[in-house]
Amino acid sequence: MKLSQEDVKHLADLARLDLSEPEAKKMAEEFGSILGYVERIQKVDTSKVEPFTMPVREDWRPDVAFESDEATRELILSNFPGRTGDLLQAPGVFENPKR
Amino acid sequence: MLHEKDMKPLNELTIIEANELLASGETTSKKITQACLDQIKGMNDMLNAFVEVYEKDALEAADKADSRRADGQVLGPLDGIPLAIKDNMMLQGKACTAGSKILFGHVAAYDSTIVRKLLDQGAVVLGRTNMDEFAMGSSTERSAYGPTKHPRDPERVPGGSSGGSAAAVLSNMCIAALGSDTGGSIRQPASLCGIVGLKPTYGRVSRYGLIAMASSLDQIGPMTKSVDDAALLLSMLQGQDPNDQTTSDEQPFVQSFQASLKGVRVGLPKQAWSAGLEDRVKENTKAAVELMREAGAEVKEIDLPYMDEGLAVYYLLMPCEVSANLARFDGMRYGLRKTSLPLFETYAQSRAEGFGAEAKRRVLLGAFALSSGYIDAYYLQAKKVQSLIRKAYEDAFNEVDLIVTPTTPTTAFKLGEKMEDPLAMYLEDVFTVSVNVAGLPAVSIPCETDGGMPVGFQLIAPWFKENTLLSAAKELENLIKQQN
Repeated sequence: MKLSQEDVKHLADLARLDLSEPEAKKMAEEFGSILGYVERIQKVDTSKVEPFTMPVREDWRPDVAFESDEATRELILSNFPGRTGDLLQAPGVFENPKR
Repeated sequence: MLHEKDMKPLNELTIIEANELLASGETTSKKITQACLDQIKGMNDMLNAFVEVYEKDALEAADKADSRRADGQVLGPLDGIPLAIKDNMMLQGKACTAGSKILFGHVAAYDSTIVRKLLDQGAVVLGRTNMDEFAMGSSTERSAYGPTKHPRDPERVPGGSSGGSAAAVLSNMCIAALGSDTGGSIRQPASLCGIVGLKPTYGRVSRYGLIAMASSLDQIGPMTKSVDDAALLLSMLQGQDPNDQTTSDEQPFVQSFQASLKGVRVGLPKQAWSAGLEDRVKENTKAAVELMREAGAEVKEIDLPYMDEGLAVYYLLMPCEVSANLARFDGMRYGLRKTSLPLFETYAQSRAEGFGAEAKRRVLLGAFALSSGYIDAYYLQAKKVQSLIRKAYEDAFNEVDLIVTPTTPTTAFKLGEKMEDPLAMYLEDVFTVSVNVAGLPAVSIPCETDGGMPVGFQLIAPWFKENTLLSAAKELENLIKQQN
């Protein structure tokens, strides 16, 4: 399967990943080669096969909330790229709508 | 035996040897730790195995271990032993970046379960080792910290993604190290570096606090100088964890060695052994098979259908899980954030600047394979072939007790050699990936006997049969050593 540069740009949009024109072009070429390889699985007859899933667990732990200790809490907060007090500062969701 | 060990530099000890000398009072944790730190000082500038060294913390931990020992309060066989952890394993209060620029500045807020276990056992953590970004790679060339070099030939790669840990063990910068393996990232660098690398059965060891690559494939495991050390670390790391629902309640692994390889049924998948192998790999791995045969193992060729599709299945399933797992790196709560931009651009540019080329490639590949219109033919088909691969292994293990292959088709390649063509790099993993797809335990042990570039030999056992696996590996390790 060959992907066009446009296809790659669309995927990049979905994945929230900026790609330059040269990057998108190179990526499209590389995908051609990689997809060309992985597509061999489509030749396998899986008409009678179920997709593999992990076994379902029934041993749930109680749904109980607990507080972080102070050290953990402070480390989480100190990782915020933008912080006001104990709040995470982030760009406004509704300012400047998506291009 | 003790006499011979006395003359070995302390950083060259194995965990078991270190314990003997600590127990007899002939050395201290401080001395072993200092020896490792000195080796790091001498060699890390050239090899770039460690991205950060915790000199002060390590010496303090070593002192505490020595005090405990003096008071008769030894915590266990890891007490006072200097180890290295990979840069994707959280240690509270320390930077943890998965080899990626997007996490520069990120400090672990909590301990991963396995690091917690090491610390509770009194182990000395020397520092964090280099890796391919987000564990994506087979050479440790795709790290935001620059490549790690092979200790025996610095123009060559140590393998990846746990290349830093492998190089640290080979060059005796530490007594042992931890790595993580999603498609071969413990076993392949162990193979290229000539050390022991064990990937436990999926579910043996908790992934809580391991920066996730592909959650259904990732496993943490030991990278060591001997099979005995790997077995010891596994027994200390394993266990069910309420924080990781994929950990198993199977009987824990308890080391108990068989006397010999006599009567052990060993399968050689024809798909692996007729593949394009470098001559040196072919010679040395075939010789190892002969050793098994001479020791009484029943060796026979087997058919492992779908092994040829294993790599394709892996390079579909893994990027799909990657695209989900890497969605959290969006410049919001941690790591790199491009500022003064609207929300969408903050995401898109932070990720563009923070992720390397391979990470971007896999995120987009995963997005494609999961997207509407393509998901059936790609992701779902891969899940179905995964079922077939698992069944193929199940059937094979009805006929044999162990399956063996070369770990990798080549020895260590040169820096830059495989960077132009992503697919060429992926093919390095051709013998290791289907093991992750099936969730089986596997170990790589060195099998070359001439002291040249290392060659890895891979043993694969049925689910949760690490005992069978490591018993055979240890016996083979002995036989290979006797050849030298």
